[in-house]
Parts: sequence; structure tokens; C-alpha cells
Amino acid sequence: MTTANTYTEPELVQLLRQKEETAFKYLYDHYAGALNGVILQIIPDQALAADVLQEVFLNVWRRMETYDASKGRLFTWMLNIARNAAIDMTRSKAYQNSQKNRELDSDVHITSAGSNPSLDHIGLSKVIGQLKEEHRVLIDLAYLKGYTHEEIAKLLEIPLGTVKTRIRAALLQLRKLLT
Amino acid sequence: MNVQEYIESGSIESCVLGLADQAEQQELERMCAAYPEVRAARDAFEASLEASAMAGAVAPPPALRDSIFEKITQPESGSLTQPAPVVELPTPEAYSGAGWKKYLVAASVVLLAGSAALNIYLYNRYQQSDSLYKDLLAQQQQLAENNSSMQTRLTDLETDLSRIKNPNIQPIKMTAVNNTNSLTTVYWDKNSAEVYLLVNQLPKPEPGKQYQLWAIVNGKPVDAGVIDVEPGDGLVKMKNIPSAEAFAITLENAGGSQSPTLTAMYVLGKV
Repeated sequence: MTTANTYTEPELVQLLRQKEETAFKYLYDHYAGALNGVILQIIPDQALAADVLQEVFLNVWRRMETYDASKGRLFTWMLNIARNAAIDMTRSKAYQNSQKNRELDSDVHITSAGSNPSLDHIGLSKVIGQLKEEHRVLIDLAYLKGYTHEEIAKLLEIPLGTVKTRIRAALLQLRKLLT
Repeated sequence: MNVQEYIESGSIESCVLGLADQAEQQELERMCAAYPEVRAARDAFEASLEASAMAGAVAPPPALRDSIFEKITQPESGSLTQPAPVVELPTPEAYSGAGWKKYLVAASVVLLAGSAALNIYLYNRYQQSDSLYKDLLAQQQQLAENNSSMQTRLTDLETDLSRIKNPNIQPIKMTAVNNTNSLTTVYWDKNSAEVYLLVNQLPKPEPGKQYQLWAIVNGKPVDAGVIDVEPGDGLVKMKNIPSAEAFAITLENAGGSQSPTLTAMYVLGKV
């Protein structure tokens, strides 16, 4: 059941602030798949990813008034909510316990971006997969795992300044690949 | 930093992807407001990010859609016209407001862990001190016992010394009559008839045997008691002897004999 209407972004935001359910259905139908794809990059388990996606949309609905269009696109705002929610989930005790049995899987996920063809030959993960190894690792740790620069420096045993420089380089590389 | 350098610094991407700190975010806002090129670069990156995510879309489970709409239409968490209580998610915008709570929670967890660690440390220290204290207590008791036994020994020696110093006491040196190097001394008070024996040197008797002191009175031996002492002991009081010409020690069966075994005489001392 997809909604036939289309909206410009300001219209959509305006209607969502008025708690217009039709607009919300449009938002879901339009963006749920894209956000789900990103969440799955962080949480490979489909059921857990769906839990996060639900939380994300409920928060978008409830917190629409905090969205500030001058700071960026609606999708960027939702993407950040989704990424933070997914990373929070990976840090919950329940999730970490559930991952203990799957360490091999997640190792594969870290070291090889090409492990799951249905996810990894399209979209953002494909782009990340095209990065140079040293850049890809940093984007994986910083963006998908949510580690701070300090944590990455410790983990990879490289100086903090190097981490910052390489992440900048990785991001510029990412931009080139995206455009 | 000029505009082009800023655009090429990676700062825009860092902010859009939510990797930047607050200061960097605010700088981007300023740059966007001041320079249309920066704004355009940001918009372009956001658009390409969105397009890429769209290309990587994965359909969520179909039941999720209904589940979400059911939740937003249920007025369970208060009226929908008013903002419902929201579980704050840490979005970049929320870091400034909700961040301190996170740090507060983190700080209390750290404090709790620190306090627990301190408790364990102090408990271990307490146990160490307690065991040390018990050791010291045992040592102190041992020393007190030693002291008490030394006191007893000192008192005995003082008593012996006072007997020897008594002007009425006559020391009688008893020298070996066999080849054993034996030597004993009798301290005899003729006035009170008291006899004390000091064993300077006597071979250790075989099992079942015991030394016996004799006084020779009018050429006849008179029993003056059996000897339980070893070399190093102090004066030992023997039987009273009112008069004697000599003293002798023989080795007899344990318990002593009626008359001395003269072949087993060890020492003899004339008065």
C-alpha cells in the first residue's frame, strides 16, 4: 500500500509537524528501505535491525519539531538518528550477548565487505567496499561501529593525529566515490 | 582557511555523517551561512549520500509498517496533540542537551566501580592487618611465656646462689674414682643437716639405671637419695644427713638400692 502523493521536502516536514499520518506513511514508504539498508550495515540481524528501524520512525514522528532544515536534509537527519540508534543497539548488553555465538559472522562482516551479496553490491556498502583498505577500516570503525578517534587510535595502535588525517582522507575518498 | 580549502578538508562529510564534534558542526553552520559554495558542497554530499542509501535500500519486514502506524495512532503514551514523552536518542543535535545526563550516568557508574574496587582493596588490607595482628599476638604470648620461664629459672638460680653463699654450708668436691671424668659437689649444712647436690659432670645412665648418693657414716654407707638431675641443673635437695665422713655416688638399678654396689662407684669426696 504505497501512497500516491508526492511532496516537496518542506511540505513533507510541515505536514509531519502537524502530525499528518498520510505524510508519515509517505515518509515510511519512501525512506524505510534506505534506512533499513544502512541499519543492516551496522546490525546484520534482520529482526534486530527491524526493531531499530521501528524505534527510528517512532522517534522521527515524535521529535519532528526538533528537525532544523537549515542544518541539513531531512534524510540526513533521519540517517543520523538511525545510525545512532543502531550503534546504541550494538552496545546494549543483550545484543553483545547474542553476538557471542556469532563472532565468526561478525568478523567476516568486518574484514570482508563482500560477504553478503544481497546487501553489499549496491548502495553505501558498495561505495565503502571500494575504498582503500586503510580507509575502509577507518570508515567501518568510525561510521559503522561508532568508535571515537581516540578509541580507533588505541585499537589500531596508530597516533591520534594519524587517525584524524586518515579519516579526513577516507571521507574525501568516499565523497568522490559517491558523486 | 579559504573556502576551497575548507571544502576539501573533509569537514563537511564529517559533519553530515555525524562524526564531527559540536565545534565542527557549528563551524559548518557558519560557513554555510557565509559561503554559498560551502552550502552547495554540503547539499551535494547530502544528496549523493541519500541517493547511495536509496540505491542500497533493503525492504524491511512487511509487518513492520502496520506495527509502527499502530503505535503512532495509539494514544497510550498521552495525547497526541501534546508531545509524548520521548526516549531521547543521541542525535548530533541532542548531544549538547542530553549529553550531560549520559556523562552523569557514566560518572556514577565509574564512581560505583571505583568505590567497589576501593572496598575490595580495603577489605584485603584489613584481612592482611588482621592476620598480622594475630601473628603478633601469638608472638607476644610466646615471649610472655619465655619471660615467665626465665623468671622461674632466675629465681631457682638465686635460691641456689643464696644457699652456696650461706656461711654454714660446706662444699665437698666429689671427684671421679673411675675413668669417666665425673665430678659432683655436695653442699652440706652441718647445723641443719641439709644436703644439696650439684651435678657438674656424670655420664647419662643406661635405661633402668639411676645414680644414688651415699653418705659414709662411721665407715658405713647411708642412703642419701636417688638422683634425677642431669649436668646443668641447679642444686637438688637430698635426704638430710646429720653427720658424715665422706659422700659417694654409685650407679644402681632404678629406684635405688639398700647398699651400694661398690664396683659401680663413680665419684667420692671426703668431708
